[in-house]
Amino acid sequence: MTGQQATSGQAFRATLKRDLVIAYKRKNDVVNPFMFFLIVATLFPIGISPDPARLGEVAAGVLWISALLASLLAMDNLYRADYEDGSLEQLLLSPHPLYFLVLAKNISHWLVSGLPVVLVSPLIAYMLNLPDEAYGVLLITLLMGTPVLSLLGSIGVALTVGLGSRGLILAVITLPLSVPVLIAGTITVQQTLNGAELGGYLAIMGAMLVGALTLAPLASAAALRISVN
Amino acid sequence: MWLWFSKLGSPKWFYELSGKWLPWLVIPMAMLLIVGIIWALLFVPPDYQQGETIRIMYIHVPFASISLAFFPLMAVAGTITLVWKMKLADMVAKVAAPLGAWFTVLALASGSIWGSDIWGTWWIWDGRLTSMLLQFFLLIGVISLRSALEDTDAAAKACAVLSIVGCINVFVIKYSVDWWNTLHQPSSSFSLSDEAPNPPEVWVPLVIMIVAVYLFFAVSLILSTRNEILVRERRAQWVQELVEAK
Repeated sequence: MTGQQATSGQAFRATLKRDLVIAYKRKNDVVNPFMFFLIVATLFPIGISPDPARLGEVAAGVLWISALLASLLAMDNLYRADYEDGSLEQLLLSPHPLYFLVLAKNISHWLVSGLPVVLVSPLIAYMLNLPDEAYGVLLITLLMGTPVLSLLGSIGVALTVGLGSRGLILAVITLPLSVPVLIAGTITVQQTLNGAELGGYLAIMGAMLVGALTLAPLASAAALRISVN
Repeated sequence: MWLWFSKLGSPKWFYELSGKWLPWLVIPMAMLLIVGIIWALLFVPPDYQQGETIRIMYIHVPFASISLAFFPLMAVAGTITLVWKMKLADMVAKVAAPLGAWFTVLALASGSIWGSDIWGTWWIWDGRLTSMLLQFFLLIGVISLRSALEDTDAAAKACAVLSIVGCINVFVIKYSVDWWNTLHQPSSSFSLSDEAPNPPEVWVPLVIMIVAVYLFFAVSLILSTRNEILVRERRAQWVQELVEAK
């Protein structure tokens, strides 16, 4: 981009595209969270009970917790490679608002790590004997909730990106922050089964998504500036 | 106003001033604690429902209410750290996190002991208990982030960001957990604002204990901040003179 100044929108798209291309080249990073999700979800029937009735009761929670853990696991490679090869510093030096660049990275990261988990969740839901009427709501809540998990996780990763061993710290920081999303997601699915009106519940999830989209990248950007200096 | 503000940022000035304040806090605290505890443990009439167990309230309620103050405190201190780079604010934020964790544990433990008698169980997933537990986890997160970052300045800013995010989250958690709980199980019939006729001999000692524990909070915060000042300023001349004078 020599000569003329790119707009922030162009920078946003360029970052998004770059991250998607990198993810396409490193397919392991895409496949691993997905496999992790499948494996964790498999552990629950083994650990709790193979009884379909009992599994059906906990299915929504199991799916949500598995998605939460998969998102946490996937978070680590959000900024790390860029931190190690120095391209993160270039991002920070760019004249564009870091907010947009961070948002672009978060979105592309969710597309390659969050979205596959959402898409495979009906399969797991079937295996866990989730009642039929809850499928649609489960998909919607996961679609609205997993981006929030990614956005919140991004703050934790940005704070710890410079650390040598960050896995556990990241979990300790991020998991409690994710609780409201977990609650909103599982309640919404439960309420479908109770036959309740869903508008209010989905509105709350939407509010969380909008709030996280607006505020979390600001915190991530501030945290990145602190971690990279 | 600004002069006063920047003076407050000077650790030395705060150290000297807080040294003068301390007796005025410690003496009332000790008196109120002694009066409050003796009154609560020996002279408060047993509750008509809970019997002698009601006395735990005089420990539990003050600790539970003050432990809610820690995240706002750390968020304010964190904002000051980020905006004005005031060292003192970060010292307060640093010592507040472990203190907050202890206060939260005390609130949880005293509540659990109380609950074991009146609810018949040490733990239930009640909204209030759960949000306290999560606040404890968030505080542990701040503490472990602080200890993982070696550079003091980076640790200060990183913890400031996390405290601000955590403070917002504590409020969201509080509301969402209440919401989760009220949907899952009827909330346990326990309320302080029960408009039952509470005679003064029940609530006066409670007020005394609350004031005493708030003072205890202030004293512990000031003492540990003074400690932190000495540690961080150990190379400053005034600290070395202070050490030599002793």
